[in-house]
Amino acid sequence: MRNLICLLIFIPSLLFAQQEKVIEGKVIDAKLQMPIVGASVYVSSAIIGNETNTKGVIQGSMLGTTTNFDGEFSLKIGTDIKFIMVSYMGYETEKVDVSSITGNISIALKESLESLQEVVLTGYQKIEKRKMTSAYAKVDMEDINQAGVASVDQMLVGQLAGVVIQPTSGGPGAPAKISIRGTATLNGSSDPLWVLDGIPLEGNDIPQDFRDKDNIDNLQSYPIAGLNPEDIESITVLKDASATSIYGARAANGVIVVTSKKGKKGAMRVNVNANVFVTQKPDFSKLNLMDSSQKVDFELFLAGRSDLNYQQDRGGVARILNNYGEYNNYRDNGFASISTNAQNEINNLKNTNTNWGDELYQMAVNQQYGVSISGGNDNNDYYFSVGLFDEKGATKGTGQKRYNITLKDNFKINDKLKVGVALFGSQNKTSSYITGADAYTNPSYYARNANPYLQIKDENGNYVYDPDLVERSDLNLDYNILEERENTNYDLVSSSLKAIFDVDYQLNDDIHFTTQLGLQLDFDKTEKFSDEASYYTRKYEQRSQYLTGSGVSYYMPKGGIIQNWDADAFQYNWKTTANYNTSFNDIHELDVMLGTEFRRNDRTEIHAKGFGYNSNTLTTVPITDERALTNALFETYNKTYSENAYASFFGTASYTYNKKYTVFGSLRYDGSNLFGVNPKYRYLPIWSFAGSWNVYKEDFMDNMDAISDLKLRASYGVQGNIDKSTSPFVIGEYYNTSILPGVSEEIIRALNAPNGNLRWEKTTSSNIGLDLGLLNNKIYISGDYYSRKSTDLIGLRSVPLESGYNFINTNWATVSNDGFELSINTTNINTPNFKWTSGLNISHNKSIVDDIEIREEDFKPSLKGYSVNAIFAIKTAGLDSNGLPLFWKDGNKVSAVEFYNLEAGTNGSQLTREEHRNLYSYVGDGTPKFSGGFRNNFKYKQFDLRVLTNFNIKQTVKTTPSYNMALAQPGNNYNTDILKAGTGNYPALIGLNSPGFDTDLVYTWFNSSDDGQTYNDLDIWVKDISYLRVSSIKLSYAVAKSKLEKLNLSSLSFNIEGRNLFVVGTDYDGFFDPETYGSLYAQPIPRIISAGFNLSF
Amino acid sequence: MKNIIYITFIALSFISCDDYLDIEPVGQVIPESVDEYRSFLTSAYSIAKDHKVLTTYRTDELALSSTALGVEQYEDLFIWNDDNPSPLTRVFPYASLYNTIFYTNHIINSEATIKGDLLEKEQLIGEAYALRAMQYFELVNLYAKPYNKSTANTDTAVPITIEYDAEKNYPVETVEAVYTLILNDIEQAEALLNIDKQDLGYNYRFSKVAIKAFKARVYLYQQEWQKAINAANEALAIHADLQNLNTDVSIMPSEYNAVESILALETIANFDMVNNTTISSDLVDAYNQTEDLRFSLYFNQNTDGSFSSNKSAETKFKISFRTAELHLIIAESLAELDEGDLAKEALIAFAENRYTVAGWDAFKTKVNALSGDSLTNEILEERRREFAIEGQRWNDLRRTTQPKLTKIFNGVIYTLQQNDTRYVIPFPSDAIINNPNL
Repeated sequence: MRNLICLLIFIPSLLFAQQEKVIEGKVIDAKLQMPIVGASVYVSSAIIGNETNTKGVIQGSMLGTTTNFDGEFSLKIGTDIKFIMVSYMGYETEKVDVSSITGNISIALKESLESLQEVVLTGYQKIEKRKMTSAYAKVDMEDINQAGVASVDQMLVGQLAGVVIQPTSGGPGAPAKISIRGTATLNGSSDPLWVLDGIPLEGNDIPQDFRDKDNIDNLQSYPIAGLNPEDIESITVLKDASATSIYGARAANGVIVVTSKKGKKGAMRVNVNANVFVTQKPDFSKLNLMDSSQKVDFELFLAGRSDLNYQQDRGGVARILNNYGEYNNYRDNGFASISTNAQNEINNLKNTNTNWGDELYQMAVNQQYGVSISGGNDNNDYYFSVGLFDEKGATKGTGQKRYNITLKDNFKINDKLKVGVALFGSQNKTSSYITGADAYTNPSYYARNANPYLQIKDENGNYVYDPDLVERSDLNLDYNILEERENTNYDLVSSSLKAIFDVDYQLNDDIHFTTQLGLQLDFDKTEKFSDEASYYTRKYEQRSQYLTGSGVSYYMPKGGIIQNWDADAFQYNWKTTANYNTSFNDIHELDVMLGTEFRRNDRTEIHAKGFGYNSNTLTTVPITDERALTNALFETYNKTYSENAYASFFGTASYTYNKKYTVFGSLRYDGSNLFGVNPKYRYLPIWSFAGSWNVYKEDFMDNMDAISDLKLRASYGVQGNIDKSTSPFVIGEYYNTSILPGVSEEIIRALNAPNGNLRWEKTTSSNIGLDLGLLNNKIYISGDYYSRKSTDLIGLRSVPLESGYNFINTNWATVSNDGFELSINTTNINTPNFKWTSGLNISHNKSIVDDIEIREEDFKPSLKGYSVNAIFAIKTAGLDSNGLPLFWKDGNKVSAVEFYNLEAGTNGSQLTREEHRNLYSYVGDGTPKFSGGFRNNFKYKQFDLRVLTNFNIKQTVKTTPSYNMALAQPGNNYNTDILKAGTGNYPALIGLNSPGFDTDLVYTWFNSSDDGQTYNDLDIWVKDISYLRVSSIKLSYAVAKSKLEKLNLSSLSFNIEGRNLFVVGTDYDGFFDPETYGSLYAQPIPRIISAGFNLSF
Repeated sequence: MKNIIYITFIALSFISCDDYLDIEPVGQVIPESVDEYRSFLTSAYSIAKDHKVLTTYRTDELALSSTALGVEQYEDLFIWNDDNPSPLTRVFPYASLYNTIFYTNHIINSEATIKGDLLEKEQLIGEAYALRAMQYFELVNLYAKPYNKSTANTDTAVPITIEYDAEKNYPVETVEAVYTLILNDIEQAEALLNIDKQDLGYNYRFSKVAIKAFKARVYLYQQEWQKAINAANEALAIHADLQNLNTDVSIMPSEYNAVESILALETIANFDMVNNTTISSDLVDAYNQTEDLRFSLYFNQNTDGSFSSNKSAETKFKISFRTAELHLIIAESLAELDEGDLAKEALIAFAENRYTVAGWDAFKTKVNALSGDSLTNEILEERRREFAIEGQRWNDLRRTTQPKLTKIFNGVIYTLQQNDTRYVIPFPSDAIINNPNL
């Protein structure tokens, strides 16, 4: 097709050509003598222009083809053409004299030395790898692409040394939390900066605490979510200061540079891929919940114990016993003594098993398609693609559907001027379930608590409401999870357009200018709808309750509730650079860049609410009652707007001597909105310097045959960040107030304490690294050791109240991160038929909070001297003879009474907060000690097998207790742990009158007085986990080229893949996944089997 | 092409970076104009001023049952258990007073830069001085010994801050130093304020009459009797109306829209006080229930025979100064100056507005028979009756005889001895934690 177009364009010149001839030949690798597939064979327009001297007529056109699977090509050219060009990525382009050739030729391409020294794209510059002085990690999308994964962040898990990625939930659209080289902040976001083809992306931060029940169910769009992984060529992670400092203050957490695919020189190539993936229903039995028989027996056990009377009226057994008036009879005389009818009903209960796993989770068949068209010639390359990703989650009611369209085109206007345009458009619709202020309506949570004998629908198909899900003992708002799903909706539709316009002007061989304008538009529309017949609406209505003379009434209109959040974000980023790259005397190389960058973004959010919503007429009913005016829950309209501007100036310089020694320096000044900013900190200087020594190039290395590459790197840099909420000026915020009746006034409230002494947060990083290639680079090792110290971290510090404030933002904390990263890539076997390569990466990061202020009222100890994610727990010492927990205090085993200093009437105040803090001991680090991944690729003839794994070693996790010894009640279902209560380390269930010394005190404490909730912090709930997850096993089969030729295809492969098939490691009983161990709210990480094909022609 | 580059660079040099970066966030402002500073001061006025609710629990005005709802928050206040109160106990405000001072300091110190109408600006700054003085007056009367001329130079009070600085030390100053600051600020305010009386609804703001009334109270607490009389008379010259309860009981005299109102700023009751306490029998007995018109206006009888306050947390009950106090200050000061007859005259004239005709006759007879301390005591009793549940009682007890008080709570008798150290409220723990100098 492409050839045809070229030919048509070329016709005029053909008319002038006296004759034409056919050149046939084969392109091979000069060293291996193997055919090169897909090499471009073409007549350069420049050559034609020169040769035919008909400039202007033919310029911009090109005649060419690409080699087939056997490296063969056939090209018809005019006889006056003397040269053809043969090029292939990674090889030096050959200019072949064909003036005297008429038949078959063999063209051998030599591997390009330049390409051995691959190029690293930093987003600002292309730096040859040999000149690279900083720590980075790069991965090609080809190697990590997985079917059934919507977003690239999840594919990166375990792929890059030092980049720790943890999925937050298995729900569609859930983000993965990324931290690069630990956490450099205590209260800010630790998200890295995502950069797409040079444009830093704006977007929501991932919530700090993703175990929080509200955060986990909140749909949000994230900067990277709209991007189709199929459009990505490679990903480079910039880790140390010398690499990231060019990005300025925003890059303190590292930078992930995404390079998108672009067209390759040669004929048009159409690529089609299609996958069907089946999301498996999660294994509900992993939760270890009691079944109906166990649960009924448990309830009978509770009912039989007069001391365990906490909420004793709840649960099916108590209801039956109370119905028959036989509760006391049962308790006193046992099961045999109660009436046969009651016995039968209870026995029936045992046989009613609702499989909550089946009701809440599903197996879903999903699909994913992509088509791309790409190609190019000397003057133009293009890449167009469309994609569809459609996923229904394993949790019923969740899903994600994304459409992508990408258009990229690069033009060479003349020898000096190049222009590129790229458009990335997407619409991503994420659906989830609605949850209210309470966690009940989170399916994962509800599934753990709902009684296994509870029916969902009765014989007539009516919803059965959960009698045990009550607001208060006298208020049941009728919850049924199916009704809730049926009558509520929660969707987020994110539409995103990213547009990039590049201009590159080459002034002469040494100097070129670039300018790049990037636009990013994001429209997020969130809608929450709950119909009148839903628990959510009923619960909302309660908030409008008021007393009337005759009882209670509600001012919320009857009908549904509709809530919309529309966020509209825009940014532009315009950067311009001047570059000077030169070399002289063959031993000096100098690269200098100077640039400016201007960035502006704004964001408007509108939140609207309507009550009495009718989904047929789409109308709402206004609230007329005055009481609603003071209730923020019934505020019907709310708008926020924010705008930011940034101006930056930067420069880098790099000098290389004799291709062995490179020094590099960079400096950037970042300026941002001036409003309220201390004038001395308007422009932040961020700088770094680095050096590398290419040891391998030294003469003394000549004799060491085993070593094929050796390079040492070192860098040091300083990065800064200023807290923009703190100002030396008194900044006010407008509000309204009414001091006396009848007068409402605008007021200006001081926003923050002014603080002119606030210094910027400063992170100094140093890095030393080693790159070592052995045995002809069959083994390639990269290792880095780094140390980051973040000083003057901004946090709250208490100040004398006389100043007018309790706390001010101040430079208070200091955090250090030290660690190493190691990646080893090996080619284990390489024969023509069988090839096995592996990649292992492992990293370790240790953070220490060197200094920090804590609030006096804190229950938990200060982090000072511990890791940022330190876990503190209360050390228990087994159980006493009555099953009450014992504790360690000063080396002695003591009872809870002594440990907590309990007395009659104790209400929690017997311990000062300091004493309370001293109850805790440090038990471990919440950050894994080691994490990484291991990749293996096997290639046997036409088969490819790829196994991706990732691992975490020794991570301390505090799980949510499976039961509370003083709050266990018959209305909830529990993990079977509760059946072991009183044995091992599991505390016995107790009531006020349970046996034991001072049990009443212990009961009151754990039941209601323990404000610091120390029960959740007992060390029995803390566990060290280590695991290795096999994230993907993919088998593909490439159809032999001989068969394809007949079909006129250039490649066809079939693949099957299993994702998240299994995990090995310490057990994570009671939870779906080790990643979300301890979270009651997380959706299971889906296990996916996919099958698909990839076709090119 | 080169032209494009030149144009770009020229354009760039014209765009000043500071202009580019100068974005005023929506809803935020660095106050500059007098209007903006007015809104800023309104913010200071709107900071909760409700500590008198808590001091009232320490007085002899209330009775508290151990079974009352929410009693945990008040019982230790009620029984003066300052040593080891329950953590649920309501804490006396400290930070909020200094927060108000922060606002006033900022206005006072920004005088030179505030843009706008001079009169408005002077009124604004005058109010800031007045409000600051008032905060220090409240602080010194919560956390220091009452003013005693002979020891004020050594009695410790509270730290003084007249400009924002979170880094410096805040040592406690003497009672004398704090009163000096208060009087200085009042003097400044008097010179600057130019509104005689604030309009209804805005009468939470200081005015000329309010600053005079405030000055009268300060001198009363300092026992500068003549100065108190002078200040009270200056205030009365501007506004002297009293509400005669014989003709009008549609409204309480302490309400913000009553004729007596001078400054309606402080909250004096809360929900728990109204609903979960009763009026002490001591206070009930202080009234002639049939002849004193205030009794049925101020109190509401419950089904069990006890009484509760009608003054509640509603904003209309905000009060700081009203004309009745001016009359009683004059009477008290005259009595202290041994002007017994003039004192009686003032007291009786005032009482005409509070008692039935018959009651007033009886009161006259009673008062006319008094002299010396017994007269002073009667004036103080009248003060007690007049300002019941208005937050005056605790300070009146303090500044006069600091008498012995006894209370019964949950069957136990608690005593506050005469001149008990607990007439001074200890600094709240959050204040001590943040300022080691306290």
